[in-house]
Amino acid sequence: MTDTSRRKFLAAAGIGTAASTVGLVGGASAASARPHPGRAQEPVLAVVDDHHGSEVRLLVGEREVVVDDRDLVTRILNAAGGE
Amino acid sequence: MSSHREAPEISKDPVADSTDVYAYVSPVDPDMVVVIANFIPLQKPDGGPNFYEFSDDVRYEIHVSNTNRAESDISYQFRFTTKVRNTQSFLYNTGPITDIGDETWNRPQFYSVTRVVNGKPRVLARDLPCPPVNVGVRSTPDYAALAGQAVHTIGSRKVFAGQRADAFHVDLGSVFDLGALRPFNEAHLISMPAMGGVNAVQSFNVHTIALQVPARELTKDGRPPSGVLDRRSTIGVWATASRRKGRVFDSKQGKYVGRGPWVQVSRLGNPLFNEVIVPMGQKDRWNSREPNRDDRFERFVNRPELGELLPVLYPGVFPNLAAYKKPRADLNAILLTGIPEGVVPGFTNFTGPVKADMLRLNLAVPPAADPHPLGLVAGDAAGFPNGRRISDDVVTIELRAIAGLTIPLVDPSFTPDGAASAIEDGTTNTNADLLDAFPFLGLPGGGYQTLPGTTQAS
Repeated sequence: MTDTSRRKFLAAAGIGTAASTVGLVGGASAASARPHPGRAQEPVLAVVDDHHGSEVRLLVGEREVVVDDRDLVTRILNAAGGE
Repeated sequence: MSSHREAPEISKDPVADSTDVYAYVSPVDPDMVVVIANFIPLQKPDGGPNFYEFSDDVRYEIHVSNTNRAESDISYQFRFTTKVRNTQSFLYNTGPITDIGDETWNRPQFYSVTRVVNGKPRVLARDLPCPPVNVGVRSTPDYAALAGQAVHTIGSRKVFAGQRADAFHVDLGSVFDLGALRPFNEAHLISMPAMGGVNAVQSFNVHTIALQVPARELTKDGRPPSGVLDRRSTIGVWATASRRKGRVFDSKQGKYVGRGPWVQVSRLGNPLFNEVIVPMGQKDRWNSREPNRDDRFERFVNRPELGELLPVLYPGVFPNLAAYKKPRADLNAILLTGIPEGVVPGFTNFTGPVKADMLRLNLAVPPAADPHPLGLVAGDAAGFPNGRRISDDVVTIELRAIAGLTIPLVDPSFTPDGAASAIEDGTTNTNADLLDAFPFLGLPGGGYQTLPGTTQAS
């Protein structure tokens, strides 16, 4: 699966493993995220460079998946909390 | 230096820091091309117990462009794996190492070589052993023999990856003390008695990746170079080091782990380009870019800061250079496009209009019977800036070029200042003796054999 098609898939599927993990920490809708056979099965590093934006970069294996999902950004920010 | 600690960010990451790149037609077998990429600068040989080594989380690469686009048409990737044989010992070696496979070497390194052509990778070899570093007379008693075991043959290719003596020579202490050149101390703005140069690199080691391949393996059409003026005869060469884009400290392992794609953190083509031409604020960015995007740095080549400093630092010595206000088309050709046909009779290493810092090697120029350390400017077309041989005195060549000696190549109306043909840092190659055969760089200094330097506060 290319990064582009994977991105579309992940966006449609609620971002899979990385998002569900963050959702659990943040107390968001963990139940809505279901594992998919194509999900990453190795460590994933999620990066939000712009907390005003909608982009999440997922570093997985030797790939980078860019997800455009403001809802996901919000859930990550909620989970991360503030000072 | 050529590119030792040349940019703020890479100076904090020595294992990924490329220091020099050499590319030349082999004087031993003119059908072969030698490319050498050095990394990990200024290794003091006695720096144990955790001696210098390649990094498992860095991808080292040698790139070749053969289509005049300044893109990586062919690359050779080197990935390293380090093993620990005895985790209960703090020692690098638990006894003398007399064979590259000795169990007494507690921290052996192995590597793979992958050739990538137009993005398609093919592994050429796996688990090739590196030599250990030169620990000292007890631990590595016959280092030449030991290192010789680390020269590997892959078909018609040879490869070596391991510690070597740095072959670069430069007076670091003087050059970076307000542009001083000790032989010309008296003429400096802050005048001092003249003296000989001090080769700051002569006692230090580097880690070398050396590759010898048939010339036809690097040409666009897979054939040997046919003629000096045939543009297909010239290739562009540069080296890079890349790290994973994400890096996280894993407390369980006590070390960093990488995540995501490889991103370039170090680059080197022509010696001293990033070090002397690119300003401080853009050096890190330069290191992360492909050569074919170097047009944004062209203005620093056309008007090099050092060229404007020389008349200031040496008042009255460079009046013609000070008065020259045209863009430096000579440096532009030497560093960014290659020298077009017609500039030097019977020679070219032009690679097209794409502005790119690459070491350009015309493969059809045979090796010189009596190499001149000043290369092309001394009439020896087999030397820098036609590729770069280990013995080429690139500091003097580039100093003189920046001082205006090469302007008449493209602008006959200019008369260089007398000093332009005399300027030098006063160093000579006082490093370890070079070898007559692959991998050509000299044996690394040993730890036990190393003596303290001469640091003085005033």
